[in-house]
Amino acid sequence: MSFSGNVRARRPASPPAGLGHHHHHQAPLTSPGTVPTMSTQRFPHPKEDHLDADARRAAASKGFGPVRASGKYFASGGLNLTQGEYKLLFVIVLVACAVRLFRLSKPNSVVFDEVHFGKFAGKYIKTRYYVDVHPPLAKLLITLAGWLFGYNGDFDFKDIGKVYENVPYVAMRMLPATLGVATVPLSYLTLRALDCRASTSLLAALFITFENGLVTQSRHILLDSPLVFFTALTVFFWVGFCNEDKHKPFTNSWWTWLTLSGLSLGAVLSCKWVGLFTVATVGFSTVYQLWILLGDIRVSPRLWIKHFVARAICLIAVPVIFYMMMFSIHFAILQNSGDGDGFMSSEFQHTLGGRHMADTYADVAIGSKVTLRHWNTQGGYLHSHPHNYPTGSKQQQITLYPHRDHNNDWLLLNATADGDPSEDYKEHPLVYLANGHRIKLRHTATEKHLHSHDHRPPVSEVDFQNEVSAYGLKGFVGDANDDWIVEIYEGDRRDKKSKERVRTLRTKFRLKHALQGCYLFSHKVKLPEWGFEQQEVTCNKNAVKDNSLWFVETAQHEMLPADAEKVNYRSPGFLAKFWELQKVMWTTNAGLTDRHTYDSRPESWPLLRRGINFWVKDHHQIYLIGNPFVWYLSTLAIGAYVAVRGFLILRQKRGYRDFDNTKVTRYDALCGFFFMGWALHYLPFFLMQRQLFLHHYFPALYFAILLFCSVFDLITSTLRPRIRLQIALVFIAFAIWNFYHLSPLAYGLDWTRGQCEKAKWVKTWDFSCNDFYTDVSSLSDLLRENC
Amino acid sequence: MASTSSSKGKTTPRLRKQGQPEAPPSSYEYDQVQEDEHHADVYSSPRDRSGIEKFFESQQGSVVVVSALTALAFALRFYKISHPDQVVFDEVHFGKFAAYYITHQYYFDVHPPLAKLLFGLAGWFVGFDGSFLFENIGDSYITNNVPYVGMRALPAVLGSLTVPVVYAIMKESGYSTIIAAFSASLILFDNAHVAQSRLILLDAALIFFMSLTIYSYIRFRKFRYLEFTFDWWVWLLATGFFMACTWASKVNGILTVFCIGAAVLFDLWDVLDVRKEGHTMDYFYSHFLARAGGLILWPFIVYLSFFWIHFRVLTQSGPGDSFMSPAFQETLAGNELLLQSHDIYYYDIITMRHKDTKVFLHSHPDKYPLQYEDNRVSSQGQQVTGYGHNDTNNHWRIVPTKSLPETGRGRIVRNNDVVQLLHMATNTLLLTHDVASPLMPTNQEFTTWPKDDYSRHNDTLFTIQLAWDAPENEPFKSKSGYFKLIHVPTRVALWTHPKTLPDWAYKQQEINGNKNPSERSAIWYIEDIIADQYGEEPIGRDEDSRPVKTPKRMSFFKKFAELQLLMFQHNAGLTASHPYASGPINWPFLISGISFWTDNATNKQIYLTGNIVSWWTCVVGLSIFVGIIGADLIARRRALDPIPDAVRNRLWNNTGFFLIVWAVHYVPFFLMNRQLFIHHYLPSHLASALIAGSVLNFVLSDTINFPISYPTSKTRLRPSQYADVGFKGLATVIAYGLLLFMMFVYIAPLTYGTPGLTGEQVNSKRLLSSWTLHFAAKKTHDA
Repeated sequence: MSFSGNVRARRPASPPAGLGHHHHHQAPLTSPGTVPTMSTQRFPHPKEDHLDADARRAAASKGFGPVRASGKYFASGGLNLTQGEYKLLFVIVLVACAVRLFRLSKPNSVVFDEVHFGKFAGKYIKTRYYVDVHPPLAKLLITLAGWLFGYNGDFDFKDIGKVYENVPYVAMRMLPATLGVATVPLSYLTLRALDCRASTSLLAALFITFENGLVTQSRHILLDSPLVFFTALTVFFWVGFCNEDKHKPFTNSWWTWLTLSGLSLGAVLSCKWVGLFTVATVGFSTVYQLWILLGDIRVSPRLWIKHFVARAICLIAVPVIFYMMMFSIHFAILQNSGDGDGFMSSEFQHTLGGRHMADTYADVAIGSKVTLRHWNTQGGYLHSHPHNYPTGSKQQQITLYPHRDHNNDWLLLNATADGDPSEDYKEHPLVYLANGHRIKLRHTATEKHLHSHDHRPPVSEVDFQNEVSAYGLKGFVGDANDDWIVEIYEGDRRDKKSKERVRTLRTKFRLKHALQGCYLFSHKVKLPEWGFEQQEVTCNKNAVKDNSLWFVETAQHEMLPADAEKVNYRSPGFLAKFWELQKVMWTTNAGLTDRHTYDSRPESWPLLRRGINFWVKDHHQIYLIGNPFVWYLSTLAIGAYVAVRGFLILRQKRGYRDFDNTKVTRYDALCGFFFMGWALHYLPFFLMQRQLFLHHYFPALYFAILLFCSVFDLITSTLRPRIRLQIALVFIAFAIWNFYHLSPLAYGLDWTRGQCEKAKWVKTWDFSCNDFYTDVSSLSDLLRENC
Repeated sequence: MASTSSSKGKTTPRLRKQGQPEAPPSSYEYDQVQEDEHHADVYSSPRDRSGIEKFFESQQGSVVVVSALTALAFALRFYKISHPDQVVFDEVHFGKFAAYYITHQYYFDVHPPLAKLLFGLAGWFVGFDGSFLFENIGDSYITNNVPYVGMRALPAVLGSLTVPVVYAIMKESGYSTIIAAFSASLILFDNAHVAQSRLILLDAALIFFMSLTIYSYIRFRKFRYLEFTFDWWVWLLATGFFMACTWASKVNGILTVFCIGAAVLFDLWDVLDVRKEGHTMDYFYSHFLARAGGLILWPFIVYLSFFWIHFRVLTQSGPGDSFMSPAFQETLAGNELLLQSHDIYYYDIITMRHKDTKVFLHSHPDKYPLQYEDNRVSSQGQQVTGYGHNDTNNHWRIVPTKSLPETGRGRIVRNNDVVQLLHMATNTLLLTHDVASPLMPTNQEFTTWPKDDYSRHNDTLFTIQLAWDAPENEPFKSKSGYFKLIHVPTRVALWTHPKTLPDWAYKQQEINGNKNPSERSAIWYIEDIIADQYGEEPIGRDEDSRPVKTPKRMSFFKKFAELQLLMFQHNAGLTASHPYASGPINWPFLISGISFWTDNATNKQIYLTGNIVSWWTCVVGLSIFVGIIGADLIARRRALDPIPDAVRNRLWNNTGFFLIVWAVHYVPFFLMNRQLFIHHYLPSHLASALIAGSVLNFVLSDTINFPISYPTSKTRLRPSQYADVGFKGLATVIAYGLLLFMMFVYIAPLTYGTPGLTGEQVNSKRLLSSWTLHFAAKKTHDA
């Protein structure tokens, strides 16, 4: 009695047991005579004869398998492993370590995108601000590894093939390599948690271990290995959570698995934005769960809401907070100005060390010495220098220049003054610059005026654009083409005065040419070399409003008292900075449309049409290519799934009751999950216009391999365990043989041209065999000579 | 009347009990049946209705309403149709194409020919001679004597007839006259539909045929229990015919094909379902084949026949020639290629030009500099560039690599021959090798090599590969022989791009070797044969030395396939930005319009924008419908049944079909990268008007005319009922119609382009700040 009392205590007060979600509660009622050994299980096992066919089907659709001949009870909630499996796992990890860490220190020079990610680690250590299209987590981890082993950030990772000096690059490569190793046991555990057999799980683990592409990718300072790891981790946690959910919701372990799923979702997302596909996978799965719950009318609306809110918190809020925390660490480290400044707004730049600006006077008046900044682009300050345009009027150039410099200083003068405007203002009381004022801008360094006339600008040679130049000479009061009219566009909400007159940093205004009617304008167009590649400034008659807005960044006036009001940029808060950076990342990412020599389109990936050349040096080569055996089997599994599932749907429509078979439902749920994962990690790439590479397929490949293993589990389900294991070992042997054949490309080992030509199994693989020596002996001769 | 008498009179009419949570689940379903039957009982008698309602639901009433709507539609669409007497917006294109039909000149356009053929027909009918070419927006029709009113009348008629078709769609779907009139008036009083159908544009035809397709399909569906009867076939074939017409009118008509395709798939899916209908597979196959024939094969034949007419009419050379393959061009009378293309013999001196950028292949004695600005080094060989002007440095001689007979046709250069090209001025051979080109590190450098130095013979060999998949021994011809020059050892294609080299090459265009030999922009042609091997003008060497070259023949299917492929490619290539192009997300809300025409002298303008009341109503209707469907799904998931079965079936099957029409005509635009305009939304707007009608019906009443499909002896008898929107329905629709009309009249000056508006009036007509109207008064600046 005490036993059954315990079980009852675990049961929620819910409507009488039926055939749906809580079917398992029926078990103790209908099987009072369950043997005491059951008490070690977390849940009594529903022997088939206790449930009718419908209930069995329902149980199978939730992943409970039929009872095996071995008498092993299926896992309920979380993960149940036997002692022997831990030993097996240990061996698998050892093998994975051997495969992934073998000669990790070779080559001792920069490989492929280590150019970027090594460089970014240097930026973190030097705390120099940079902008990249990927979120920071993986890069932070790499930096951590480098920092712990004494990387000082001096090495510049400039070119592929540059030999490392004073860089703990092995430690840095260890990070992706370790995560790559960790992916292997995760695949084992995931399949086990899904109640696949140990031999199937072993097959999956070894397929992933010997996948050349995953090996190559995880041996270098790249982001994809962390990405694949966190994807695998998320899938594992999610599967564990689903087990718990079928078992009993809202227990401590249920919450733990759910929270862990959320955290690792956040981690995937913080490695690369393609982590969104993992979010989508878990999201669809969640929606499906909730839909099932909604259909169970014994789940009260209140309980349903509880289910919903728990998932919303753990799978939406937790990942978002995690993601934002990564950025707060990112900002906390990158405190100083660096080469990413130019992407950010002036306010953002102001928060960076080295870009900090001293407070400046708030009031702008006739006679103020000011610097003007373009509002919409990050081109910088209105600038002039003693060089002339080679075209048009051949007068002195006006540009936008991103750095502070005395050539950015302009004197505001009254164009309607009677006498010499440069003296005139001194005789009057202070006149604040306001809307409608007609002014001249005198470049203080060269004493010329900002000028425009009916000449076409050097780059944007269109009718509605006028050239802007600096014109005049010392003592010349200027002509009417120097006159500009101030049009205030917008002030600052918190500074009332800024709407009425121009205030430093607070007022956006336009400058209209008094004679031509055009607006002072700049856009993201660079001048050629003669203009030092600074940004073009023109006077535009059809100006886009945003590109014709200017503001005063600094202002000083000799007649202002020293204690006059001062202002500075308002420092943006974390959220503002975070949001701004997201937008910059998005536009930069969308702008990556240039073709790369080794890019490829998604349709070529499942067929492994082409790899990526990572590194070629000294007659050795690293080329990213998958293990064709594993790769094609996984693709085959996808095709088989689609065909079989389609066929089953048609059969069902014709009244065949295939889905009454528990085996069909169980494997349908299993394979369907992996197929969904594959599709969501693969198909969206077809919509992307940016450059894509083979390694973008890796997360999808992970799902495809697991799908293949599920199919294997299904096909061999009627065989004796021993036979099944033998078949699995044959598959593994083939995979290892394939791996071995292409491994010189993964590790950059000695190879001859002949071996290389022979390894080109597919015509479209384009590793260059000409780089290898014709025979190894000449290589060793060479080495001997060098020694 | 199949209802049970037991429930009669127990409940007062129109007080239907909603889901009863207190009822035990066991008797729940039974209650639902009871309720539905009771419900049917209450509404199955039309007797207790007012006379007005009865009149409207009668045959005569319907005729009166639809006649009034149609008359009004004609009035609104023909009002001042002669204004403006100038070319407006895309009349530039479509007017021109009509003129080409009349003069039989070949033209090329991305849209299929039906609507343009109709314009051509209308133009011919009213006596247009095709001499005016609609060159610029604003050209006067009066001074050029163009009978443009006749041509504009065609879309106006089609646009007006769309209104009764919309009405009929709703009537056939089982809604009451009042609801049908509501949907029709959303189209009738819509400024965008009116503006679009008063001008020589394709959309009126597109929308008219699309609405007819929907109408025919609904008629077809109503015969679903009378399968394979005469009527069933008539409406199936009518659907296919109008579908083909829609597609043949404008390229986006293909969406209508997809949308009918989707509906048919749903339909067949039900036929396949053994539990629903219990049919055999043979039965399914016969249905499948009937639809494949009626909705795939038959429409395709119709579609093809329009192209057949198109090719039959356009027999003369015209502005579209250069888009087509040489073989195609030679079917057109008076084509330049037909008249001037000659066979090329070995040792001819020729000039060759790049097809896209029109530069000549050029070389001059200057060498490539040793080192470029980015520190890469060159071969320092002689420069090979692309040069825009004719000059003796463009002269090349075709040198054979095989032995030739002394004379005769054996000396003709043929497809896939391996040749060398000798630069006449410097006596060097064209060569490329594995050295990066000056501007593109990924491409190979082209240079030349002394003729007598055989050390690099292999690198001077090139294959002439004729484009358009020419047969192996096809002779190589000047002008018409589009070809690629493929380097034999490295398989790169001679290629150029519009970037110019620096001063050291006199800013000429870069020539380099593209490693992708299938690159489409690597096509060249022989501009001219300067001299033959004896340095003489080539004469009388052609195979077919006909006195006057007559056009050649080409099979219709080849022509069709070629044109279809080109239309597809050009359609995808329309990516340039246009000031009035807008993103699909803006369309349902009418965020932006298109300025069609302006007249500065009188401050008149035509601005394409919809009736804001109509469009926003449609959006609201759509969202309500999606809300109802969503709520119904969730309710049924929770075993609640708030909507009577007949009404739910109507909502899902009929309004759901309208939703598919809407979505299929709208969503694909999100995936397109070409320029998009608000008029691309008009078919979807029509669908959303249908949805708005049925949503209004749902809101007003939970009755419909049921059943509407024609029964047979075998169909299960169901209690019939009659739509009853009551007096409030009539009042709502009349009030709403007035509101629509007022809004229409308010925006009408922008639609009809008259009268001219003052700046203040323009500002007041600018209902949304995002509309970019002309002649707006400047806002007074408060300084």
